[in-house]
Amino acid sequence: MFEQVLNAILAVVVALAAAGAYFWGSNWLLDKFLHSDNGMSPHVSVRRDRLRTGIRPWLFLLPALLFLSIYLVYPVFETVRLSLYNRNGSVFLGLSNYFWAFGDAHFRQSLLNNFFWLLIVPAMSTAIGLIIAVLADRLWWGNIAKSLIFMPMAISFVGASVIWRFIYAYRGPDQPQIGVLNAIVTGMGLPPQNWITMVPLNSFLLMVILIWIQTGFAMVILSAALRGIPEETLEAARLDGANEVQIFFTIMIPQITGTLIVVWTTITIVVLKVFDIVFAMTNGEFQTQVLANLMYSWMFRSGDFGRGSTVAVIILLAVLPIMIWNIRNASREQGAR
Amino acid sequence: MSTATASAALPVAEDDRPSIWERLRIGRIVANLALLLIVAIWTFPTVGLLVSSVRDADQLAISGWWTSLTSSTTPGAGRLASSSDQIEEDGIYVITGDIFESAGNLTLSAVGTTSRDPGAFGVGEAVPMNQGGELVVDETGAYRWTSDTPFEHTNTPRIYYVASEPPVFTLDNYYRVLTSAGVGQSFLNSLTVAIPATVIPILIAAFAAYALAWMRFPGRGILVAVIVGLLVVPLQTSLIPILRLYNGIAVNFDGQAQGYLGVWLAHTAFGLPLAIFLLRNYMVGLPREIMESARMDGATHFQIFTTMVLPLSFPALASFAIFQFLWVWNDLLVALIFLGSQNDQMVLTGRLVNLLGSRGNNWELLTAGAFISMIVPLIVFFSLQRYFVRGLLAGSVKGG
Amino acid sequence: MHKTLLAGVSALALSLTATSAFAQDIVRGEGDFSWDSLDAFEAEYGDVSGEITLWSPWNNPGDAAQFQAVVDFFEEATGVTVQVGSSPTYEEQARIDIAAGSPANITILPQPGLLADFAEQGALTDLGAEATDWLENNYAAGESWAALGQFAGEDGEVRQYAFPFKLEVKSLVWYSPDNFDEMGYEIPETMEALLELQEQIKADGGTPWCIGLESGGATGWPATDWIEDIMLRTQSPEAYDQWVTNELPFNSPEVVNAIEIFGSIVKDDANVAGGTAAVATTAFGDSPAGLFTIPPQCYLHRQASFIPSFFPEGSEAGVDYDFFYMPPYESEPDLGRPVLGSGTLVSITRDAEGARAFLEYIKTPIAHEIWMAQENSNFLTAYGEANPDTYSSDQLRQQGEILLEATTFRFDGSDMMPGAIGAGAFWSGMVDFVNGLSAQDAADQIQAAWDQL
Repeated sequence: MFEQVLNAILAVVVALAAAGAYFWGSNWLLDKFLHSDNGMSPHVSVRRDRLRTGIRPWLFLLPALLFLSIYLVYPVFETVRLSLYNRNGSVFLGLSNYFWAFGDAHFRQSLLNNFFWLLIVPAMSTAIGLIIAVLADRLWWGNIAKSLIFMPMAISFVGASVIWRFIYAYRGPDQPQIGVLNAIVTGMGLPPQNWITMVPLNSFLLMVILIWIQTGFAMVILSAALRGIPEETLEAARLDGANEVQIFFTIMIPQITGTLIVVWTTITIVVLKVFDIVFAMTNGEFQTQVLANLMYSWMFRSGDFGRGSTVAVIILLAVLPIMIWNIRNASREQGAR
Repeated sequence: MSTATASAALPVAEDDRPSIWERLRIGRIVANLALLLIVAIWTFPTVGLLVSSVRDADQLAISGWWTSLTSSTTPGAGRLASSSDQIEEDGIYVITGDIFESAGNLTLSAVGTTSRDPGAFGVGEAVPMNQGGELVVDETGAYRWTSDTPFEHTNTPRIYYVASEPPVFTLDNYYRVLTSAGVGQSFLNSLTVAIPATVIPILIAAFAAYALAWMRFPGRGILVAVIVGLLVVPLQTSLIPILRLYNGIAVNFDGQAQGYLGVWLAHTAFGLPLAIFLLRNYMVGLPREIMESARMDGATHFQIFTTMVLPLSFPALASFAIFQFLWVWNDLLVALIFLGSQNDQMVLTGRLVNLLGSRGNNWELLTAGAFISMIVPLIVFFSLQRYFVRGLLAGSVKGG
Repeated sequence: MHKTLLAGVSALALSLTATSAFAQDIVRGEGDFSWDSLDAFEAEYGDVSGEITLWSPWNNPGDAAQFQAVVDFFEEATGVTVQVGSSPTYEEQARIDIAAGSPANITILPQPGLLADFAEQGALTDLGAEATDWLENNYAAGESWAALGQFAGEDGEVRQYAFPFKLEVKSLVWYSPDNFDEMGYEIPETMEALLELQEQIKADGGTPWCIGLESGGATGWPATDWIEDIMLRTQSPEAYDQWVTNELPFNSPEVVNAIEIFGSIVKDDANVAGGTAAVATTAFGDSPAGLFTIPPQCYLHRQASFIPSFFPEGSEAGVDYDFFYMPPYESEPDLGRPVLGSGTLVSITRDAEGARAFLEYIKTPIAHEIWMAQENSNFLTAYGEANPDTYSSDQLRQQGEILLEATTFRFDGSDMMPGAIGAGAFWSGMVDFVNGLSAQDAADQIQAAWDQL
């Protein structure tokens, strides 16, 4: 049993040794075969120097680039190609998978649900995260509170799904309720509800899980940004008689707009890829389907690589604007340096 | 920190605007309460899971975890002895025994002869039996069944009861879920996947990040842009092509397409964009002077990297490692597809999903299983929270 | 025992995984087994050797160990080593392996629809006309069993590509004899009587049915079994076959009627434990627990022969639970006693001498008897030569009899429909139906998905 863990550790050692050997060895080879010394003619020496500095970065980058191109770049093109073919990639279909997708009720349902996820989860997580950050920074036990709210970040989506399924658990009206939500509802004298099947509330209840996880993330980032606001600015506002609420809206928010956008986009990306929660909670039943789960279902349940790839491409298209925005941001920053 | 700010503002408020005193104090109370409420809501679900996982399975099934400290009253059933156990006492035929047979600590409050109404008769009350005679039961479950005529039943009649049981806490759920439900094996599998998948990318990413941060070469800007772009590529697009690739390789070498090696490599690749991005951001911030003076002294890039940059970057390496470990440990999709779902290969997340599907109402197993799956990430999280937060900040705030 | 009855809901045992010793000791040459058939097999195939791989749907430890016993005797009789593999998502796995061109030598699947896909791709090996003859002559209702494994190949020609082995009866209703005795209920002999019983239970203040559709990625399948059983009891077998191939559209009145009959049961809150709302989110394996609670949450549970594996730990067949055949309508005497079943189909996905020998092996009575005799086995066979005395319990023997007595036997329709329907639109359509969609709309939705294939 434990043998496999030992094997894993062995794999770590082997991998580290291999990587070390590669980096060291390739550098050594480069220096050996393209060395330049005083005995050489200046012409050769300079050329060699230039060649060496030209090659070395690529030696450093090579393994990473190999991994990235095989596992991330090539698949993007391959997925686009597969999306133009039939279920097993043997017949070219043109765009008909895409026409199928937009004509399919389940696909449209997923698209709509994803849209609501995008609308609600990033906004709610960011808003609640901001509120907690503001509150916690002024209380002596704020750090403990933050730690506890941050904790769900460490829990897997599947684990979180188990936790929340327990909260939404439903029993018939004549039985004792073991789910908190239904216990509260019956405690108020109302009949218990099978929350997971109630459209459209159920989608929102699934979103709650992701909000529960992501709020901690938003809180940590925003809390740091809030601390970055110069004390003098806040002090000056207070002296002018502004109350805390006014300070929050007129000073704090404008100061951290950039960070707010970063947090919001990061959570948006998480939402677009959300799969585990829906997979574990409803598997897309009860009109809670989302794109990532729909893709899995077409690909591995129905065995239709064409349609599965089509859905994957559509997810990719949805991510594209954020990707471009990110790249422009990064290049601007690099240009500024 | 900001607490100091608030009190520093006080003396100003004190002299001419005493109302602010009031306002601040009320504000403080409201802030305390609001935060307390949010923290309560946020931790409540996890506490419920933890408490439930150590409750007795039977009690868990019939009462909410918030009642776990009170004793629970449940209906049950036992069997009475057949006529072969009867004895004759002064012309009366008697069967005696214990309804509870073996289970301890139950206190009986009522009995009945039908499943529909298990509590029809009180303790000590005479229960008329279909098989003839009368049955009397006491609180401990001991019964005495008497009749004027000999008993003739050959079966063991069912008797129903209502009994209360004090709260029972047990680690039995953990034992069961670890052994019979296969969670123990899955725990090892998760470790097997996570350790190499966390370590392998680090060195690869560090070299690449150094090149992108401190070496000058054509195409560097484009490469950085590509890596930022790859950060958001949904890994869903990779699944089919990579699986087909693996299958193609497996056919040629007559091996298995799915296995640990494939998962390690896949996780390594999927983690690289973030790793390179994080490490590059960190390395760019290292003081330029040190590098340049080292260059002056004739150190090569390789030497600078291994002797200076790598040790200096330790905090960033640590935060990436935590990230990657949490991500790999908590991943479902990659393992599901590249590791396969053979019983002995399933990772914890996959196992939990399976339990949800087939044992959706066995909360004692689900809660214990979920808690086992959370233990390692929680330890990592709480012990290394500082690095984790630093990594988050390096990865995100930079962009703004 | 009473401890587990205390709250049957939680007491669902891990009986599949908890029991340690599965493979009952069967000693060659002892007992009621047809050992001579093994001797004859050994005489002919004893020289075959090599290694073959086998992909099976039996992924829970119980089934896997029982099947391993069957394999063990094969390995012993020949010189072949068999690598048996399986997984809970064995269909997805088989699909991926075949698409990648690296399938096992032998692939065993319960879905004829999936195998038909593979046959069309040219992934299955022709078992030859002699396999067809053998099935027709040796299995009860042999022609329908043979037809089950016949698919069109790459060239469109229909051949025998698969061999049914290990059958299952689906038309069973489970109940607690204690509860029936207490309430004075009788086993219904007709569908009308069953529906009367349903009303009687309600009149007595009880709840008739426990129904659960949740099954992870396959949520909804138990409802498709209901529809199929009702179809067989309201329509001719021919209409059933046409429905399966969509010659009879899914939204035709015949099918909608069947869905509505199911709806008349499941969509009445008083008919199902927990009310209709609970049906779609109750796990199919948890749902029969209601039979064993005190007071009982329900009195009836319709499910296939495998379900006792999910009953509370220590439940005893015939004492704590029993079953009856889901009866036909008295008003439809022409339809006889239809039985819905399913079974697993053995196919060769990579030809090898050892694989051929394995297919010869499962034509011997002993291959069937070894599994029939395993403790907790749920192996049923239609092979007349296999000795029914070797069944490990009376329950199993009675189920075997139902199989043999069937005037009409039909295979699980959803398994034979194309994957996107039978393992997709049909499932989710039924979930939507239970959650409020009308029968017509649900049927239209499924038919629409079929039109898009």
